[in-house]
Amino acid sequence: MKIVFALIKRNIKLFFKDKAMFLTSLITPAILLVLYATFLGNVYRDSFLAFLPEGLVLSDQVLGGIVGGQLMSSILAVSCVTVAVCSNFLTVQDKANGSIRDFLVSPVHPAALAVGYYIASFCSTMIICLCAAVICFVYLAFVGWYLAVADVFLILLDIFLLVLFGTALSSIINLFLSTNGQISAFGTIVSSGYGFVSGAYMPISQFSSVLQNVIACLPGTYGTSLMRGHCMQGAISELASLGIPADAIAEIKRSLDCSISFFGHEVSTLGSYGILIGTDLLLIAVYVLLNVYRMKKAKK
Amino acid sequence: MKNIIEIRHLTKKFGEIVAVNDLSFSVKEGELFAFLGINGAGKSTTINILCKQLAKDAGEVLIDGISQDVDSAITKRELGVVFQNSVLDMSLTVLENLESRAALYGLFDKDCKDRIEELARLLDFSELLRRPVGKLSGGQRRRIDIARALLHHPKILILDEPTTGLDPQTRSLLWRVISDLRKSEQMTVFLTTHYMEETTDADHIVILDSGRIVAEGTPLSLKNAYTGDFVTLYGVSEEAVKALGFPYTSHPGGYRLMLPSTGSATALIIAHPELFVDYEITKGNMDDVFLAATGKSLGEERGK
Repeated sequence: MKIVFALIKRNIKLFFKDKAMFLTSLITPAILLVLYATFLGNVYRDSFLAFLPEGLVLSDQVLGGIVGGQLMSSILAVSCVTVAVCSNFLTVQDKANGSIRDFLVSPVHPAALAVGYYIASFCSTMIICLCAAVICFVYLAFVGWYLAVADVFLILLDIFLLVLFGTALSSIINLFLSTNGQISAFGTIVSSGYGFVSGAYMPISQFSSVLQNVIACLPGTYGTSLMRGHCMQGAISELASLGIPADAIAEIKRSLDCSISFFGHEVSTLGSYGILIGTDLLLIAVYVLLNVYRMKKAKK
Repeated sequence: MKNIIEIRHLTKKFGEIVAVNDLSFSVKEGELFAFLGINGAGKSTTINILCKQLAKDAGEVLIDGISQDVDSAITKRELGVVFQNSVLDMSLTVLENLESRAALYGLFDKDCKDRIEELARLLDFSELLRRPVGKLSGGQRRRIDIARALLHHPKILILDEPTTGLDPQTRSLLWRVISDLRKSEQMTVFLTTHYMEETTDADHIVILDSGRIVAEGTPLSLKNAYTGDFVTLYGVSEEAVKALGFPYTSHPGGYRLMLPSTGSATALIIAHPELFVDYEITKGNMDDVFLAATGKSLGEERGK
């Protein structure tokens, strides 16, 4: 156990000390912030206002809570996966620069190495995402705080589950990568693509129905939807108290991806959690099995 | 002395290419063992199998009497490896690197601290402990690589071209430390190198070519078996040297003749005293042994 702990410590230190790896992991949230500052904030605001009945005027506080919640959910949902992918690149980097050979000549069990990489990547991502969450909470406190205590805890739970998802997914993919060129290509695809497929740059509801169905098959989508729901729940509830009809609120929630449908069937919050937790467990099981298979193959 | 490494009928293929072909040799405890061959001869493949980084196709590898197939965790504990290129973490400090690697062998807290301090004194890097490895010079980094390999008091130190690219002063320091360790800890050193002069102190040499052993023995037995004497003649014409009927090469200021033995050199001097006004006689060196045994020169490898 002490050996695994030492490996985790080494991996986390290496991630935060390796400026290239650390900064690469922040590219997607940084892009999102720039997009938000330049035009995305206005797009969010305008598209939301388009759903409101004519003549209804919202306070800046409510509007700030909704648009800020949308931004927060986008940043967190994307970061949980892209930061996990980038921090997990250490696994591949160790193969590319030969450090893994140094571990494999030692008597340490390969399973300890695999666990060390997984937990370190999970911890590094959690540290960054929790810091991002704190910054987002402070931001929301300024522009419009409508979160209940339960929402805050559910957001933390969403972060936990999405980071588990991102870490497990990237751990499996990284088993098949071995060069810096490959991680660079994979990182670029994930960093640029995940924001779109998770609906961070643009709500999924605005995609074509075919694309919506494809995206509904991706388990990460349900994590994003949960995050969005919990980040915006308080502000949207405030709309009800302003007299906006329930139908309109349901439509707003759907358009903002707070609720998501799978081939026409709306997926409940519990259903989304079920899909996300199930996917996490499945991916971890696949990661373990692949490692066991590789160890057996290496012994032959 | 007992055999600390025994390799029996080792074979490894990569597709159609036979990298190691029915290789058998042993290394005695405490000896300096030199393993020579050009790139692609099978040295690295053998070392990788020895370190359990690569699976073998056939044969057996025993470390200190224990088969790797039985318990590689035990055999790995006996090995310390200095790789051709540094595999330490460049962003971490020397201390962080050594602590993380020591943990792999169950060395923690005070034991770890004491061992690192001991190695820092031995290899003269106490002042480097807080510096990132990426900021060190090649020689400094090499000292840390060796310290890392020695952290767990291995019985066998595998040095894979350890001094390539190092300045003479650092090479000398490394060899002094390794020599002291061999004496004080009865440590076996398994060396691959492109510098033939580093093999002159070896107890046993194996020369590999195309995955097979082409020559083995002590430096002296190899020199006697594979090289004769060299006579360098100065201030003579090439025609006169050619007329002597022995193979020769051009040498700065003269010509270098290769003769089968010291006796034939003596006979040549007596027969042609007019040519032997300014000359020197030397024994063949390990470069000559390598060339004679493999038909290839390691000088080309060093240039690569």
